[in-house]
Amino acid sequence: MKIEGEYTFDGPREDVWELVRDPEVLATCLPGTQSLHLVGENEYEGEVNVHIGPIAGVFSGRLLVSNEVPPESCTLTGEGKGKPGFVNGTGNVQLFEQGDNKTLMTYAGEVQIGGRLASVGQRMIDTVSKSMIRQGLGTLNDAIKARVVARTEAKEVEYIPPSETEFAAAVAKDVAGGLLSSKLLPWLVVAVIAVILVIVWLNVR
Amino acid sequence: MTKKFIGKRIKRNEDPQLLTGQAQFVDDVEIPGMLHAAFLRSDYAHARLLSIDVSNARQRPGVVAVFTAEDMGDDWQPGPPLVSPPPTAKDVIFYSRRQVPLVKDKVRHAGEAIAVVIAESRYIAEDAVEDILVELEPLQAVVDLEKAMEVGSPLVHDDLESNLAAHLFQNKGDYEEAKSKADLVIKRRIVLDRGAAAAMENRGIVAHWEEKSQHLTIWDTTQAPIPIRNGTAARLGLSEHQVRVIAPFIGGGFGPKMMMFYAEELVIPWASKKLSRPIKWIEDRRENFYATTQERGQIHDVEIALSKDGHILGLKDVFLHDTGAYDPYGLTIPLNTQCHAMGGYDVKNFATEVSVVFTNKTLVTPVRGAGRPQGIFIIERLLDIASKELGIDRVEIRKRNLIPLDAFPYEHKIIDQAFAPLILDSGNYWPVMEKALEMIGYDKFIKDEQPRLRKEGKYVGIGFAPFIESTGVGPYEGARVTVEASGKISVATGIGTQGQGHFTSFAQIVAEQLGVEVDDVRIVTGDTTEFHWGTGTFASRGAVVAGNAIHAASTIVRKKILELASKVLETPVDELELEDGLARVADIPNKSISLGELAILANPLRGAVEPGTEPGLEATAYFGPKYGATAFGTHAMILEVDPETMMIKIKRYVTVEDCGTVLNPLILEGQIHGGVSMGIGNAYYEQLHFNENGQLLNASFADYLIPSATEMPRIEVGHIETRSSLNELGTKGVGEAGTIPVPALFAQAIENALYNQELEILEMPLSPNRLFELLSEEKSR
Repeated sequence: MKIEGEYTFDGPREDVWELVRDPEVLATCLPGTQSLHLVGENEYEGEVNVHIGPIAGVFSGRLLVSNEVPPESCTLTGEGKGKPGFVNGTGNVQLFEQGDNKTLMTYAGEVQIGGRLASVGQRMIDTVSKSMIRQGLGTLNDAIKARVVARTEAKEVEYIPPSETEFAAAVAKDVAGGLLSSKLLPWLVVAVIAVILVIVWLNVR
Repeated sequence: MTKKFIGKRIKRNEDPQLLTGQAQFVDDVEIPGMLHAAFLRSDYAHARLLSIDVSNARQRPGVVAVFTAEDMGDDWQPGPPLVSPPPTAKDVIFYSRRQVPLVKDKVRHAGEAIAVVIAESRYIAEDAVEDILVELEPLQAVVDLEKAMEVGSPLVHDDLESNLAAHLFQNKGDYEEAKSKADLVIKRRIVLDRGAAAAMENRGIVAHWEEKSQHLTIWDTTQAPIPIRNGTAARLGLSEHQVRVIAPFIGGGFGPKMMMFYAEELVIPWASKKLSRPIKWIEDRRENFYATTQERGQIHDVEIALSKDGHILGLKDVFLHDTGAYDPYGLTIPLNTQCHAMGGYDVKNFATEVSVVFTNKTLVTPVRGAGRPQGIFIIERLLDIASKELGIDRVEIRKRNLIPLDAFPYEHKIIDQAFAPLILDSGNYWPVMEKALEMIGYDKFIKDEQPRLRKEGKYVGIGFAPFIESTGVGPYEGARVTVEASGKISVATGIGTQGQGHFTSFAQIVAEQLGVEVDDVRIVTGDTTEFHWGTGTFASRGAVVAGNAIHAASTIVRKKILELASKVLETPVDELELEDGLARVADIPNKSISLGELAILANPLRGAVEPGTEPGLEATAYFGPKYGATAFGTHAMILEVDPETMMIKIKRYVTVEDCGTVLNPLILEGQIHGGVSMGIGNAYYEQLHFNENGQLLNASFADYLIPSATEMPRIEVGHIETRSSLNELGTKGVGEAGTIPVPALFAQAIENALYNQELEILEMPLSPNRLFELLSEEKSR
């Protein structure tokens, strides 16, 4: 499966780069993330708890950051597996200054999935993963905005990441809007894949 | 003797039990102390097994045992070859690679079993499967048939030089010579893809080793209980009489349950013996999509040579056949394809060459039709194309080529799936086709209705597809028929039953001979303790092979009854008749004795039995045909295509079958209805989508669409009877007939409906989506 897209952040490129390379920030943007650790130079291990609808389980993932050109681009190679199946993927992320404190992120990747995710969730994977990426990036953008406000106004701004449930609900709403069919919602479960994908793309320090 | 029961529309004896939920299926078996099994299956289609750690799983409370390939030690052996390659064919290449109980070195298809957990409940077992840590190194998967045959392709079996599993060439006459004289040669590439059998009941097995009696009982959803018994005994080092296999009621077989031994059939009885506990495993639907065999993937490069008056001069077919990860079922399917590619036509020159290919996909073994639909699709498509190119009406071009009545038995000079010469024993093909065309009102539709409907802007098409079906192959089946003291008849045969109505059609055969009512005949199928000689229910052979064995045993019992009655009633045998459960003097009906009384006399408690006689009114007999009986039929339909959505509506559906003597038209029609339903699925809904990594992308009934009541048309069934000369009853099989011509029929009818499009359908299955794509491709050309 190919995944590509772009997103505009409300913050300067350095801030975006710094945040996406911070596992702790990322973990808050990806609700369900139980851990995300640096285990080697540019290599991370993490676990994401997935409990949506009938598919539940922990995904153990590992990812490698390479071809790093701060704060412009990097390549991410990731793999994750768990009860719902497995995900392997490689992607390129690029950040472009847009002026006016805006940063454009483009991402393109090739992802392979297998197991229950593939066999039962195929029909929904495309839509749900795109939606999860949108939601995840949106959350990250909120964190960036909070940081920018804190700096410019020299005061603490509280950033509250969404809970696992809130995140799932947001994705469900997004997907339902896109498909105009609520009976497909149970399949949304497959969203788990995107959780891993977002780690792959964004987990950069 | 007038027929009182054979050919009669008798309601099924077994239905009250089935319809009220009283029939025993494998999952109904409950034994005190029974354990439950769950399998760890590979998510990868192709991967090396690096390590496996089951220690956590073993510690989970309620888990009794966890087994891996290593734990099986020397008992770990691949399944036995089910069908060997044909010994009579020349230059056959065949590499036998059989499925394994549990993966030892390498995973060869997604869903292959790696470990089994035996626990107090299925819930615990499933949870413990999650506790197993398995390290797999993914390998590039072999999925596409043509790429699999390229040099440098990854190998499914590392010890082979390529992914070629088998190669077989068959030749009749001289195709090249025929081609050189042809006015028209048509070449096409035809692609057929996989589907599932999707039986309502998944597979299941209960094995119960009793240590004290040293006896193993197995309940199995198999179509072949006797070979399962014999094979299990051999594997476990037991006498065949220490093993009893029961194939109880089964919710649909359709071929995949003829496959043996499945990994679970290798593992569960072994584990039961090892643990001395009864163990149950019931397949879930997603497992069924991965672990139960599938069929139909083939790619054909075909050529037909014709004269300008539409006579077929020769046919050539070079094709690839997907066997999946292993090939325990030998060459049955491609042989069937070869034997049906000529259809019911007088083809004098035929060259056919198959390469069987290993892929990282679920195993391929016969699914209702078993290679035949592919063969029929090829010849019917080629004739449709020829009809257009030569400007000869599609009915006429077929009529000119049908094998004529005086040519039977018609020898094709190639070998069939039973390795016997392909001989079409009997047939009268044109009247069958004519009747189907008449029933659907072919001429009137073409002349009047279709033009009118087209004027209204409707896309309505008519199609018809004749077909042959090789049925009732050997080697043999047997039966034992006994008159009991109650006067009721008990019959046992070795084949299993999966919904075919055996309890009724077999009873009719017995009732016919013995003059009893059909519901006074009790049939036992598929229990090796009751009868332990035979092979199984496959190749549309139950009614032919087992049916004739039952008939043979019944005629012997009839003779015994008459001889004993002759003595008792002091009347010559030829003056006696068997009616209403009595042996009586034909001219003096009240001079009679009941069968029950005769049975008691035949099995006395005191006195002397004459030397050389046997007690009881009982006989065991066998029947093995010289070769298979070939049935024939034609399906016709009218359908409407919605040009926006490409959804279809079947307006009329007609079948005419000639399967020799009809035992029970009601059961025959049921077989046809079910077959057509599968055929419609094969043609327009059911396709297993594997991606380039060998991942099955639609392993649920939400995504894999089987026809439901709303897709099913009302089916009008007509019969013509041409008795087979190969057996006493004159029967031919019909179990697969409903499925075989449907893809060919759909292709023709859809093309006919979309008359203003340049559409040539050369693939199956289609779907509304795929049809839309094909039309878009044509437009952009």
